[in-house]
Amino acid sequence: MRKKHCIAMLLAGGQGSRLGLLTKTVAKPAVPFGGKYRIIDFPLSNCSNSGIDVVGVLTQYQPLELNSYIGSGQSWDLDLLNGGVFVLPPYMRGGGGEWYRGTANAIYQNIPFIEQYDPDYVLILSGDHIYKMDYSKMLASHIKNEADLTVAVRPVAWEDAPSFGIMNTDETGRITEFEEKPKHPKSNRASMGVYVFTWPVLRRYLTEDEKNPNSQNDFGKNIIPTMLADGRKLMAYAFEDYWKDVGTIESLWEAHMDLLGEKPVFNLADTRWRIYARNPIMPPHYVGQEAYIADSMVTEGCEVYGSVEHSVLFAGVVVEKGASIVDSVVMPGTIVRKGACVTRTIVSENCVIGENCVVGAPGGPIALVGYSTRLPAGVRVAAGEQTDEDKLNEEAAHHE
Amino acid sequence: MNNTMGIIYTTKDDLTLREMTSSRAVAALPVAGRYRMIDFVLSNMVNSGVRNIGVIMQKNYHSLMDHLGSGKEWDLHTRNDGLRILPPFLTRENVGEYSGNIDALRSNAGFLRRSRQEYVILSASHTVFNTTYYDMLAEHIASNADITLMYVKARPSDVDYSVASNDSHAFADVDETGRVLEIEVNPNVASYPNYLMDVLIVKRTLLLHLVDQAYSHGMHDMNCDLLRRYVQAGLLRVHGYEFKGYHRRIETVKSYFGFNMDVINSDVRRELFKKNPVYTKVRDEVPARYYPGAKVENSLVADGCEIAGTVENSVLFRGVKIARGAIVRNSIIMQDGEVQESCELENVIFDKAVTIRSYGRLIGQRQYPIVIGKNVTL
Repeated sequence: MRKKHCIAMLLAGGQGSRLGLLTKTVAKPAVPFGGKYRIIDFPLSNCSNSGIDVVGVLTQYQPLELNSYIGSGQSWDLDLLNGGVFVLPPYMRGGGGEWYRGTANAIYQNIPFIEQYDPDYVLILSGDHIYKMDYSKMLASHIKNEADLTVAVRPVAWEDAPSFGIMNTDETGRITEFEEKPKHPKSNRASMGVYVFTWPVLRRYLTEDEKNPNSQNDFGKNIIPTMLADGRKLMAYAFEDYWKDVGTIESLWEAHMDLLGEKPVFNLADTRWRIYARNPIMPPHYVGQEAYIADSMVTEGCEVYGSVEHSVLFAGVVVEKGASIVDSVVMPGTIVRKGACVTRTIVSENCVIGENCVVGAPGGPIALVGYSTRLPAGVRVAAGEQTDEDKLNEEAAHHE
Repeated sequence: MNNTMGIIYTTKDDLTLREMTSSRAVAALPVAGRYRMIDFVLSNMVNSGVRNIGVIMQKNYHSLMDHLGSGKEWDLHTRNDGLRILPPFLTRENVGEYSGNIDALRSNAGFLRRSRQEYVILSASHTVFNTTYYDMLAEHIASNADITLMYVKARPSDVDYSVASNDSHAFADVDETGRVLEIEVNPNVASYPNYLMDVLIVKRTLLLHLVDQAYSHGMHDMNCDLLRRYVQAGLLRVHGYEFKGYHRRIETVKSYFGFNMDVINSDVRRELFKKNPVYTKVRDEVPARYYPGAKVENSLVADGCEIAGTVENSVLFRGVKIARGAIVRNSIIMQDGEVQESCELENVIFDKAVTIRSYGRLIGQRQYPIVIGKNVTL
């Protein structure tokens, strides 16, 4: 294996339990986003566009869909002779083998993978965020500062700060204090979960952290605080552009709404920084005779005969005559039957919303219809409610 | 069908398609919002499990090569076999174009000889259809034929007799057992409804032998010369296989326009895209954006489009922009076209990257649409 300057490790093992039924059968990074993408397309495309051509993807929870989606990495130009994208599940070894116990432990278990490339720097990413970022600029800043660790930070609203890892820095950008989810934050500079480590330093800390039986083997809780305490050089790298943690149903919905409008908050269409995805292989979408589509995103394979307003439709979605979709996100392969009304809802993949169903409500919290759910005609799903095939069956059994 | 290889013959520039083929082969003609003509015949072979496919190219093959690349979008970038691009090589007898498909096959006899498959599917690239060749091959073997030809029952509208194109129009007399009794080439009015699609199956070794023989007898065209004469003389046992699905031969602006309008029809779209997937080069476009005030009816819209105006009965290719107040009716706008504010278009075909500036107006006739060549700003 030829030496690499910098390689990326993408933590994609989390369940994303706050996404409820959406991540019942798939890992969070495999959740569809933006009409034709999945969340993992963003970090993968960022790597590809930043010239980082070795990406290890650490999977653990429901890896099947993620594995088959990544495939050979061809879609991101990551099918290379010397490099590429590698799916790295936990595995058995002489001493027994075990699951990934924490973010740091996941990297620790893959030290042999990283060492193959003898890198100077390792970029740690997570598969939970929607953003376009040039990692090579961050790497350049890390090298220029001769830092041991550079953490990408961005300003968040002060009221949201208590739910992030907050970095307090001095005037040079050096991190002086790190507070994980502080009740009374001193700064609103939140960690984006994007780290550049100088590899020999990280390797030492990972190895030491493993020896500590009380450690949770987590970057935020253990590695970073220990490095700070040791007086290591930790720098903050400010990132001002769009960045969204899509960890909850509400935030996933909001991120979709950010794509819409006359001047979208997040512009996917920028050709200088394309996001790549595995192509669905479908014809262009069809808009029927009496269809109405306004302020929306529609992609290949869709057939729209009804009305779609301020919504995002994924590949192959069918909206029948008289059906109406407002302020909603409808994921691949779903059919919305005649007369159904879907408002402020995320409908996952391959669902059927039966005739005259009323799903969600204007102004209320976001409703969710889980994978492959077949809602019988006339069913109502209240605002904020989550439903799927299992719940429907339970209810049916309950009534009998 | 790993005992079958494929050869696709692409014709040279065809004047009947006006500006659209001045810089590209018909096989590279953009159709149906995101495809090129060749995607259909190529996907038909790939969906039949054919893994060794040669594409014979002639003049203006640049855009075709660019489109096909290594063949990875068709899963043909393999270590063994895969996609083989066969450009003409200039020799004393060959000046970059062939006088017929027999010449082309003879020039590429080496590729045929080196391949290991038993059968060859030889296909032209002028017709859009979606099929797999499993049935046809089974029929070919069962009927003990030397050659099996694919044909359709032609409706009068399927054949444009006025065209003297590079690809001949051929018709066959097929008896009830499927045997081809006679072949008619370029008739004024056909005696038989069985219209050949220029798709045939033959044993590779027999094809090599036939091409060699035909060439030495001064023959150039498969339909005109070889098949017609050999069938007449009873030298070959030729079988006809009827294809019953949707098909459209594209050789004029009228048939090009007609085909794209056909695809707006849901039944045609189902026939063309739902049976088997049609692969094409991926452009990584974002989904289409509809702005407030957009009004789209009965149209096909590809990814990357941005629509703020009115679009009716039209096909918009990838990355087309329709500005506020613009009206586009019965038109085909290829990749990266731009219709600026308050323009009006009707019965128009825009080739790639055509821009019409604000308040422009262009009204063509349904029977004779206006064609605007590539990269023009109006």
